[in-house]
Amino acid sequence: MKIRIAPYFIIIYVLAFIIFVILISYFWQKNRKTPEQPINFSHQIHVSKVGLPCTHCHTTVEKSTAAGIPSVETCMTCHKAVKKESPEIQKLTKYWENKQPVPWQRVYRLPARKYVYFSHKRHIKANLECVNCHGNVEIMSIIKRVPKLEMGWCMSCHKAKNVSIDCATCHK
Amino acid sequence: MKPENMKELEYNSILEQDILDAMRKPHPIYWLALFICASFFVLGMITWVIQMLKGMGIAGINNPVGWGVYITDFVFWVGIAHSGTLISAVLFLFRAKFRNVFNRSAEAMTVFAVMTAGLFPLIHLGRSWLFYWLFPYPNQRQLWVNFQSPLVWDVFAVSTYFTISAIFWYVGMVPDLAIIRRFTSGIRKKIYSFFSLGWTGSLKQWRHYTRLYMFLAAFATPLVISVHSVVSWDFAMSIIPGWHTTIFAPYFVAGAIFSGTAMVLTLIIPMRKIFRMEKYITVDHFDKISKILLFTSLIVAYSYVVEFALAFYGGHKFEESHFLYRLLGDYRYLYWLMVLCNVILPFTLFVGKLRRNIPYLFVLSLFVNVGMWLERFVIIVSSLAKDFDPYNWGIYIPRWPEVFITLGSFGMFFTFFLIFTKVLPILSLTEIKEEAAE
Amino acid sequence: MDRRNFLKILGITSSTAMLSSCGVDKANEKIIPYVIPPDEEVYPGKPLYVSTTCTECPANCGLQVKVNEKLYHEQRSLYPTKLEGIPNHPINRGGLCARGQAGLFRLYHPERIKRPMVRDEQGNWLIITWSEVVTRIQDELQKTRRLGKINTYLSNHTNGTISQLKNQFCQEYGFERLPDFELFSHANIKKANQLVFNKQVIPQYRIAKTDFLLSLGADILETFVSPVEHTYHFSIAKKNQHFRWYHLEPHVSLTGVQADHRIVIYPESEIIFLSYLIQTLFRESHQKRNLPFKLLRSIPTYSLEETAQQTGIYQQDLQKLVGELSKAENPLIISGGISTAHAYGLEVAVLTALLQWILGITSEVVNFINARNYENIGTFLDINNLLHRLDQNEIGVFFLSKCDPAGQLPVDWQFLEKLKKASFSIGLADCLNATVRACNMILPLSHTLESWGDAQPFDGLHSIFQPAIEPQYDSKTEGDILLSLLNNNSEFSLYYKDYLFNNLKSRFGETNTSKLLQNGFIRTAVPESELSINLNQVYQFLKNFRIPQVKRTELLVFAPSIRGYDGRSTDLVLLNEIPDPLTTISYGAWLSVSEETATRMSLKDGDEVEVRIADERTKLPVKKQKLLPENVNLVQYGVVRLLSGSYDKRSGELFWFIKDIILSKTGNHVKLPVLSGSMDENGRGILPHVNEHAHEKEGKPWYPEHEHENYRWGMAIDLESCIGCNACSAACYVENNIPIVGRKEHLLGREMSWIRIQPYVQDNESIEFVPMMCQHCDNAPCEPVCPVYAAYHNPEGLNVQVYNRCVGTRYCANNCPYKARRFNWFDHRLPEPLDKMYNPDISIRDRGIMEKCTFCIQRIRAAKDKAKDDNRLVQEGEVIPACAQTCPTKAITFGNLEDKNSKAYKLAHSEQAYRALEELGTKPAVNYLGKKREHYEA
Repeated sequence: MKIRIAPYFIIIYVLAFIIFVILISYFWQKNRKTPEQPINFSHQIHVSKVGLPCTHCHTTVEKSTAAGIPSVETCMTCHKAVKKESPEIQKLTKYWENKQPVPWQRVYRLPARKYVYFSHKRHIKANLECVNCHGNVEIMSIIKRVPKLEMGWCMSCHKAKNVSIDCATCHK
Repeated sequence: MKPENMKELEYNSILEQDILDAMRKPHPIYWLALFICASFFVLGMITWVIQMLKGMGIAGINNPVGWGVYITDFVFWVGIAHSGTLISAVLFLFRAKFRNVFNRSAEAMTVFAVMTAGLFPLIHLGRSWLFYWLFPYPNQRQLWVNFQSPLVWDVFAVSTYFTISAIFWYVGMVPDLAIIRRFTSGIRKKIYSFFSLGWTGSLKQWRHYTRLYMFLAAFATPLVISVHSVVSWDFAMSIIPGWHTTIFAPYFVAGAIFSGTAMVLTLIIPMRKIFRMEKYITVDHFDKISKILLFTSLIVAYSYVVEFALAFYGGHKFEESHFLYRLLGDYRYLYWLMVLCNVILPFTLFVGKLRRNIPYLFVLSLFVNVGMWLERFVIIVSSLAKDFDPYNWGIYIPRWPEVFITLGSFGMFFTFFLIFTKVLPILSLTEIKEEAAE
Repeated sequence: MDRRNFLKILGITSSTAMLSSCGVDKANEKIIPYVIPPDEEVYPGKPLYVSTTCTECPANCGLQVKVNEKLYHEQRSLYPTKLEGIPNHPINRGGLCARGQAGLFRLYHPERIKRPMVRDEQGNWLIITWSEVVTRIQDELQKTRRLGKINTYLSNHTNGTISQLKNQFCQEYGFERLPDFELFSHANIKKANQLVFNKQVIPQYRIAKTDFLLSLGADILETFVSPVEHTYHFSIAKKNQHFRWYHLEPHVSLTGVQADHRIVIYPESEIIFLSYLIQTLFRESHQKRNLPFKLLRSIPTYSLEETAQQTGIYQQDLQKLVGELSKAENPLIISGGISTAHAYGLEVAVLTALLQWILGITSEVVNFINARNYENIGTFLDINNLLHRLDQNEIGVFFLSKCDPAGQLPVDWQFLEKLKKASFSIGLADCLNATVRACNMILPLSHTLESWGDAQPFDGLHSIFQPAIEPQYDSKTEGDILLSLLNNNSEFSLYYKDYLFNNLKSRFGETNTSKLLQNGFIRTAVPESELSINLNQVYQFLKNFRIPQVKRTELLVFAPSIRGYDGRSTDLVLLNEIPDPLTTISYGAWLSVSEETATRMSLKDGDEVEVRIADERTKLPVKKQKLLPENVNLVQYGVVRLLSGSYDKRSGELFWFIKDIILSKTGNHVKLPVLSGSMDENGRGILPHVNEHAHEKEGKPWYPEHEHENYRWGMAIDLESCIGCNACSAACYVENNIPIVGRKEHLLGREMSWIRIQPYVQDNESIEFVPMMCQHCDNAPCEPVCPVYAAYHNPEGLNVQVYNRCVGTRYCANNCPYKARRFNWFDHRLPEPLDKMYNPDISIRDRGIMEKCTFCIQRIRAAKDKAKDDNRLVQEGEVIPACAQTCPTKAITFGNLEDKNSKAYKLAHSEQAYRALEELGTKPAVNYLGKKREHYEA
């Protein structure tokens, strides 16, 4: 008697593929999702319309590991006057009045970052543009994470630019 | 039809009946045995999970003894795995016919033992969930494994060994599966048919089959040497006195075959009794295999002596003090017990009567199993306990996770083996037929 | 904007925009901005340094607090993360002992008192507000006035402005300010100096300047007056070829084993020894100053044999000592500690002073001008007097500030019972202790790092306390409390800070005050005064001179420990995690017994014995201690409560040992966490002089060697000056977030220290200490065995461990001959609020990861970052690892071995240099400098 093996293999193969696809898409989604911000602040308006330079708000980007988030005071310098009526700004003024910091949600988060040392300063001093990593924020009404911030992503750039790829440079 | 031809057919059908009977009606005792083994297996697995969640610390390993029972078990099980290939492949190539009655179960044993062994390197990892980092595969991190590390060699050695022995086992089984196919029905028939790969027993198939089998045997033979040599290099490649020595590869291989052969006896003797295989597995067979046991035990004994000879001849103060420690230190009782099990007792096999005394062989085989486990334990632990810097000397006492996981590993092994005895032919029908035919 | 405002702002917002690197890894986490940004100088990755003063012991070393901005419980704020010595501080010169660094553990102590509390009638604690405190104290004072009782104020060693304020307060409210309570008051030394020189002070001993040091009992390197300073001086003195140090002690101490000659002397027989010295010096006319005949005659004369027989010192040792002493240019004799803390202690101190006088006393060596600030410190006469008055119900309101008599006074003095007789006792403390628990009211004090203040370690040196963190709880400084009580101000709107500044400005003027704030200290001139001996007084004293009948009995010696001082530091977990240097026991109490006693009573380590003194008794596990003389049994203050105490009725000095104790075996066994596997080095090639090191043969290596461009970081450790004080270990723990694992893990041999002090007993007469850490080998055995490249050799010669690449095979640890690698057996985390001290520049390792010394790679990274900004290479001295920074003797030198001019390179290639376990061919980057030969021949 003859046994036909092919069908079994085909079925198994197809199933495996489907599961694979599902998993991939799931993780993709998980990585892509952008958090809800307490105030929907638009980089687009501030950068394209108003034309503020990045360093206007992210002040320590050139001298520190962290770019820095503008203080509520910094926001209020303009918004005491500008666009007082808009509901979003009123949220902001509320924070200001009861001396509360705005609980922004972090968008750019390195995976396992407690083991990673990253310095904005060094990358700025190496004449990298903010755009290189953060994408065109001037056209983002809601800020999104552009690169995955995976190690491979760092590595390929470091290799291309032929700068240190010694583990100790970034790992702590 | 010629009468002897008739007789042969008769013999074959009886043989087939016997084998298939063994496969057919599971006795309640079988179920009990299976249940016990399986529950041990589960217990071990649960312990492992707890260890992963809480941390390695629940085990007894410490600083300086970073490797304990887990690695001991690993080496032990890899060792067990060896005689399988030895018996089936090497003896096949040497045309040692007495192997035919052992080879199927020996190969099965090999496969299961390697599976069990393969778990331990993962169990002993501090972060088991990242085990896949040990495999060289292209990843977004653009990282590679360190091919200098004996542990990476291990990964290759063990996985290769598993693949080959599994294939070898399976290929050897194909004709038998085909036979069983004839006697089964329903879903089982389907499964057997599927796995017998449409075997018809045509001359053409037989020709291919024998070639392939011969080729695989030839392919598997070097592994008997290589795999355990690699395992031994886990230790020999380090700088620790008691580990760092050139005799380790042959020493471990011999030990492996020794323990493996013992395990074969431990398994076959009860099996023979239970499934009433006396007329196929005869006392002569046992006589022969216990000669192998004796021979390997001689090699092992020799290595023990050489180890010390090297240490003291070398005049290396660390080596010397270490081997004195092994003889007289914290683990001396284990060491001497090991010598008893692996050297003194097996030497009784010089007596012909004892070689043919099945119950004695069974008891002896158990002792050898214990002895070989102790050998690995003593080598691994006592070497680490007292190495270079006196400030760091310490001792290691296993705690419950080690015990449970070790029991679990035995549970796993025997669970698989028990299932094997029920779903697959425990003797190689075709080969026994051939043997009978000649 | 000055610091106070700055901290105010932080008080308001207590949140910054900084991405802290030690954040918890959560899916959606917040980044919280300032409401109002602080002044420019503050941004992340740039720690602040606040200069203040250490208050862990009366020495008052200069302290430099590293303050980091970081996330804690979704709150970003400033937290002190490390304590270091102020470089060029006249006392500690950048060094800081383990106790000093453990101050951080007091600041964040889980038992900090959070708010003021008072007992009600039932004796339950009620939480009250500060304004209630003021009113309550006021009417308590009313009561006592009516009852006509005396109010008293007892505090620990205080000086500087706060001392003035206390006096002012006491006058105002008719308080009697008792002399400060310190267990180690050194009363005998003060009294003796008063007798001989009319100066009731403790002088500064300038060990660095002497060429011959003779110390009797004084544990100058551990706790005696100013240990860190002495230790530094000692390291300088050692550089001098002719420097010799004889140390006489009845027991064995860390100090003793450092001396060139450690001589064991029978307890109480020091007088005989000293008398012999003085007489012989005169006989052989080596004296530099003469003494009147009658005075000389009043000192008993002993023959060499008698002395040897009476003191238990070998004759040849005595002769050698006299010989070298008489040759010495300007010798220094220090007696103190256990040698002055017994029935004849005063005589010993007097004779010492006299001997010093005879041999020529110069302010260079013994400095009475810049005397230690001990004048406020009382003696046990005062304590006894206090206890008596408590008994008589004479005491009304009783302030106990920052002191713990209940915990420290001998058990049989029953302080607690007597304290209850005070009509209203008020305990001021930062952490709970036995005393405050027994008080009627508890007032939480701010920790020194939370408060303003000043101190005067010795005459002519003034140092400041500055807050490095806002008070974490509803606590006040003693100054604020006193001020508010003085002016009956229940809003506490008066700040002691202002009082302090007015005071400082009036004393030192504007510029000096600002200098004080900047540097943490200033020096002021002190009028010179000629030192003169009061012969008559001395004669009067020596006339009725008692000679001890030295008879050997079973002794129980209470010694101060380098970890616990007088016991005040024993509840700081760090100091329990770090082992005692001599026994390497980490946690728990034990009784050290001599080998002889052990064999006599057939005791093994951990066997429990009962110690009986009159009717007091206690059970302790024993530890055999090498070098401990027969009949001497040793326990440490604080680790074991002082059972029964007696004191000198003349001077009020506490006696440190109890005679005629009875030991009996109980049969129980206690597991002792002894970290050392063996005190015997077994000629393993870790110490230099044991087997002469076959310096690795030059020749073509089999495999290509590592290329190092620019840097090859390396270290040189001078074993000559390492005293095994464990300061480096403490620094390492705090700097690198090393898990503190506790007793249970220690018993399993799972301590996590990255740098450890390994003691090795040399042929039963000396102990050598070897600091052992990752050697950053060129041929590191750990590197090739790692399957995933978690351990690898980086271009700067560092042996890097990539934590989140590690899968935890532990092969590297097995294969490390130095066993410098530590495995995280569990997720060890400091309990709240101690986890505030985590250093944000380095990760907190998870379970299953191998870790080890990194040469403080975070500091290297910072230095390189700085260097890269003004594109140059890192300069010599820009990178200093925590261990090297804090080492009181500067024994550790770190540097770039590629740079031929670096100090590290030079030392590494000096003829003294050797590498541990060199014959293994690991090529370590850590070079040990072996002790010079003569120290062994001696």
